[in-house]
Amino acid sequence: MSNVEITRAPFDPAVLYKALFLSLVAIFVAVPLLATVLGGFKTLGELRVNPFGLPRHWEWQNYADILFSQRYWQLLRNSLIISTLTVTLTLIVASMAAFTFAHVRFYGSSMLLSYLTLGLLFPAATAVLPLFIKVRDLGLLDTYLGVVLPQVAFSLAMSILLLRRFFKDIPYELLEAALVDGCSYIKFFRYVTLPLSRPILATVGTITFVNSWNAYLLPLVMLNTDALYPWPLGIMVYQGEYSSEWHLILAFITLTILPTIILFLLAQKHIVAGLTAGAVKG
Amino acid sequence: MARRMATSPAMDAVEPAIAPIAARGPSWDGRLTVLVLFLPPALLLFTLFVVVPIGEAAWYSGFNWNGFGRPTNWIGLDNYRFVFQTRAFWLALRNNGLIIAVSLLVQLPLALTLALMLAERFRGAVALRMLFFMPYILAEIATGLIFSFVYDGDYGLVASVWRAFGSEAPHLLASTDTAMLAVLIVIVWKYFGFHMMLFIAALQSLDKSLIEAARIDGATRSQTLRHVVIPLLYPTIRLSVFFAIIGSLQLFDLVMPLTRGGPADSSNTMVSFLYNNGISRMRVGYGSAIGVILFMTCVTFAFSYKRWFMRDE
Amino acid sequence: MRLLRKLGLAATAWLLAQGAAMADTTVKWLHIEVNPAQVKIWEEVARAYEASHPGVKIEMQFLENEAYKAKLPTILQSKDRPNIIYSWSGGVLKAQIEADVLDDITDQVKGYSDTLTPAALAAFSRDGRVYGLPTALSQVGFLYNKELMAKANVDPASIKTWDDLLAAVKTLKAAGVTPIVVGGADKWPLHFYWTHLAVRIGGKPAFDAALRGENGGFAGETFQKSGELFKQLVDLQPFQNGFLGFKNPQAVGYFGDGKAAMTLAISSVYHLQRALAADKVGLGEDKIGWFDFPVVPGGKGAPSDTLGGITGWLVTKGSPKEAVDFLKYFVSKDVQTRLAAGNYIVPVVKGAEVGLNNAFMKRIADNLAKSNYHQNFYDQSLGPSVGRVVNDVTAEIAGGSMSPQDAAKAIEAAWKQGN
Repeated sequence: MSNVEITRAPFDPAVLYKALFLSLVAIFVAVPLLATVLGGFKTLGELRVNPFGLPRHWEWQNYADILFSQRYWQLLRNSLIISTLTVTLTLIVASMAAFTFAHVRFYGSSMLLSYLTLGLLFPAATAVLPLFIKVRDLGLLDTYLGVVLPQVAFSLAMSILLLRRFFKDIPYELLEAALVDGCSYIKFFRYVTLPLSRPILATVGTITFVNSWNAYLLPLVMLNTDALYPWPLGIMVYQGEYSSEWHLILAFITLTILPTIILFLLAQKHIVAGLTAGAVKG
Repeated sequence: MARRMATSPAMDAVEPAIAPIAARGPSWDGRLTVLVLFLPPALLLFTLFVVVPIGEAAWYSGFNWNGFGRPTNWIGLDNYRFVFQTRAFWLALRNNGLIIAVSLLVQLPLALTLALMLAERFRGAVALRMLFFMPYILAEIATGLIFSFVYDGDYGLVASVWRAFGSEAPHLLASTDTAMLAVLIVIVWKYFGFHMMLFIAALQSLDKSLIEAARIDGATRSQTLRHVVIPLLYPTIRLSVFFAIIGSLQLFDLVMPLTRGGPADSSNTMVSFLYNNGISRMRVGYGSAIGVILFMTCVTFAFSYKRWFMRDE
Repeated sequence: MRLLRKLGLAATAWLLAQGAAMADTTVKWLHIEVNPAQVKIWEEVARAYEASHPGVKIEMQFLENEAYKAKLPTILQSKDRPNIIYSWSGGVLKAQIEADVLDDITDQVKGYSDTLTPAALAAFSRDGRVYGLPTALSQVGFLYNKELMAKANVDPASIKTWDDLLAAVKTLKAAGVTPIVVGGADKWPLHFYWTHLAVRIGGKPAFDAALRGENGGFAGETFQKSGELFKQLVDLQPFQNGFLGFKNPQAVGYFGDGKAAMTLAISSVYHLQRALAADKVGLGEDKIGWFDFPVVPGGKGAPSDTLGGITGWLVTKGSPKEAVDFLKYFVSKDVQTRLAAGNYIVPVVKGAEVGLNNAFMKRIADNLAKSNYHQNFYDQSLGPSVGRVVNDVTAEIAGGSMSPQDAAKAIEAAWKQGN
C-alpha cells in the first residue's frame, strides 16, 4: 500500500521526500496489523524467530479452532446484541427528543437542551461506581440492559445535537402545510422527518455502533457471567488464559477485529463522515 | 483521542428557540402530546444514568464504604485527602499531562503534515488516508493487545529487531522508565489518523480562491501555507486539541491490556487509576472522590477552553 | 491441542445443558484453577455427585486469578452470582462476612466439620460460625532448578540464611544464570518476599502487635527491616529481564522452561510448572528441588514458622442447600485422598494425608504440621484494600520507586484508613 505513485513532476526532490515520508508512516501503521494477521498463521516457535515475515508453513488450525469454537460466536453474538440494542434505543429516543427541540417551541426548551449537552463534557468513567450501584439497585447487573441503558444515556447528548441540527434544516413550510392539513406532529415525525433524515440517522447510528461495539469499561463493570461477555471482555479473558501463546492470541485478535474492518471497508464513507461529523462544522 | 466525543464541544446548542408555530394554526394540544411523549424518555435516561450518578459520586465520596448495604461511615473530605496523598494519583495526573503534550507536539503536527500531503489528489492518496484512519476504528482493547505483542520481550516485533542487532531485547512495558513511553507511541499510532481526517475534511472545505489569490500575489508554497492555509485551519486545530485533551482524560481501554497501569503505577491514567484503586477494590467512597476530581477537571477544562480559545466560533 | 480439548468440553457442556432441562437445582461453582489435570478430577467429582444426586447439576465456571480478585466484589452483588466461590480466607473473608454476602453453614456442617484439621476450619470460621470449607494448605518457599544450580556450583542445601541467599544470587549471576523468576506484574508474587521476611524477623508477636497498632504498627521496625532486606536482594537485580511485566502464569512457565534457577512460590507450583511450561512437560521430579525460606539472623521468628495459604470454598448468600451438600462431598476424605495422591494439595481432612505419595508433598505436609505459626498471605489476611496496598508497595520496592520506609508507612496509612 506504500507504493505511492506521483502523477505530477516526477523529478522534484520534494516529491521524493514526500513519498519516503508517506511510506515510513504507512509502514509504521501497517506492520503491527500485518504481523498480527500473519502471526495467527504461525506456530509459537516460528513466531519467536520470524515475527515479521510470511509463515513458512501456514497453520490454518489456529484460525479454524477459533472459528469452530462456540466461544468466538458467542462473543460476537453478545456484542451484536448489545450494540444493536444500543443503536436502536439511541436512535429512537434521541430522534424523538431532537424533533421536539427542533420543531416545538416551549418554555424551557433551550434550558433543557443545554442540560442534555452537559453529557458531552465528561466520560462515563467519572461516575462508574455510582453507576454500578444504580444498575445493581435496579436489578440490571449481569443483563444486557445494564450495559445498554447507560450507553444510550451517554450517547444521547451528541446524538440529539447532531439530529436536531439536521431536523432544523427540514423546510418549516413543510411542517406548517402538514399541520394545516390535519397531520399530527407525530405523523409528520414518522412519515416526513425520519425518511428525510436517513443520512444523519445512519451517521449517528454508525458512531453509536462503533462506540458500543468497542466499549470495554461499562461491560467490564456491569457483566459477570462470561456467557454475556461482549468480545472486548472475552478477548481479555482469552489472553489471560493463554498468557504467552501469542500465535493463538493473535489469531483471536484478528478474528475479533475482522468484523470491524469489513464493516469499515464496506461503509468507509459513512464511518469517516460519521466519526468526524459535527467536528468540522464546529 | 475522542471516541465518545466525536462532535464539537457543542455548547453552541443554546440558541434561541425558533419555530414560531404557536403564532397560528396548530393547536397547543398537538405540541403537548409531542412534549409528553417525545421528551421524557431522553430526559429520564439521561437524568438517571448520567446526572444522578455524578451527584451520587459527590455524595458517596464523603463515605468510607465498600459498596455493600448503604453508606453509613461519613468521613467528610478524608477520601479527597487520601487521593491527594496517593503517589499514584500524581503519577496518573502526570501521565495525562504527558499524553496531552505528545498529542500536541507529535500527533498534531504529524496529522497536519499528512493531511496537507493527502488532501491533494494523486493515485494512492485515498488508500493511504484509509490506512491511516484504520487504527482509529479498531477497539482500544484490540489495539492494546496487538501492541502488547509488538512490545513483548520474547516474541514481539521490537524484541526481534533488537535481537537482529545482537543485543538483549528490552521489555518495554515492564520497566517504569519505558512503559509510559511505549503507551504514548501506541496513542499516536491509534489516533493520528482521526486528527488527519479532521484536517483533510477542513482543507477540502477551504475557500480555494484565497489560496489562489496568494499564489497570484507571488507567495511561495510555504508562504501560502504558513500565512494563508494554517490560519484558515485554526478552528480545526483548536478542535483537534480539544479532542486530544478530553480524550486523554478518559483514556483507559488502551492502557489495560498493555500495562494495567503498571509497573508500579508508572503508566496509569486518571481512569485506570480510578479502576485499579476504586472499582477493583470496591472502595466506593475513594473511587467516587477520584471520579469527582476527574469530573471537575473535565468540566473546568471544557468551559475554560471554550471561553478562551473558541470564543469566536 | 488445548483448543480441541476445549471444544470437547464445550460439546459436553452443551450436552449437559440439554440434560439440564430436567435438573431441578443448579449449583454454580466458580474456580480459578489453571492446572487442567486437577480441574479434570474436579469435573469427575462433580459428575459423580450429579450421578448420585439426580436433579442437581454442578456448573463449573472459571475466572483467571487476577480477574477473579478484581471482579469478586461486583460478582457478589449480582443476582446471578455463583453459589460456591474460591477463598484464601483471612481479612477478605472477614470483609465478606461483615458485608453479609455469605451463607452461615454452621448447622449444615455440624458433625462433618470434626473431620477437618481444626486450624484449617478455624480459618473459615468467625465467632464460632462456619462460613466455608477449607480444601488445601500450602507453603511458600524456594523451588530450584537442580541443573542450573549445579551449573553455577551453588549448593541449595547450604542456603540457610538471607545472606546465603544473596551470595547464591551473586554466584548465579556471575555464572550467567538468571537467579530468580517472579511474576511481578501480578504484584503478589513479590509480596511473598516482604511478608516472609517479616515472618522471619518479627514472628507472630510482631504481626499481632501491628494489627493492634503497637510498636508503630506496620510502619514499625520489623516491617521497615523487611523492606530493607528485600531491597538488598532487589539491588542485586536477581530477577529475569522484564520481571515487572510478567504475570504469574508466565513466570511459572518460565521456571518450567528451565530458564531461571529459582522461584519463590507456593508449594503447588512444584507441579503446576509442568502444565504452564511451553512444552507442557516442564521440569521432572529429578530436576526440581525445594528449600525453606532462609532465616534472618537475630530474627524473632522460628525457622519452622511458615507462610502460605489456607484455601477453600465459600457459599454465597441465598444458595440452595445442595451447594453445601456438594461441598461436603467435595471436601470428603475420599476426594481429598485422591487429590493428595495426585499431589495437587496438602489435604485438610484428617487421614487424607495417607494419599500423599510424593516425597516433596510429604515434606510440605510435614513442614506445615510442625509449624506453630502459619501466616496467611498478607494480601488476603489484611483485607481487600490494605492487602492490595501491600502488593503495590512491594512491587514499588522491587521497581526501585519507593523506599522500604515509605513502603511500610504506606501500609500503615492504609491500615489506619481501614479503607
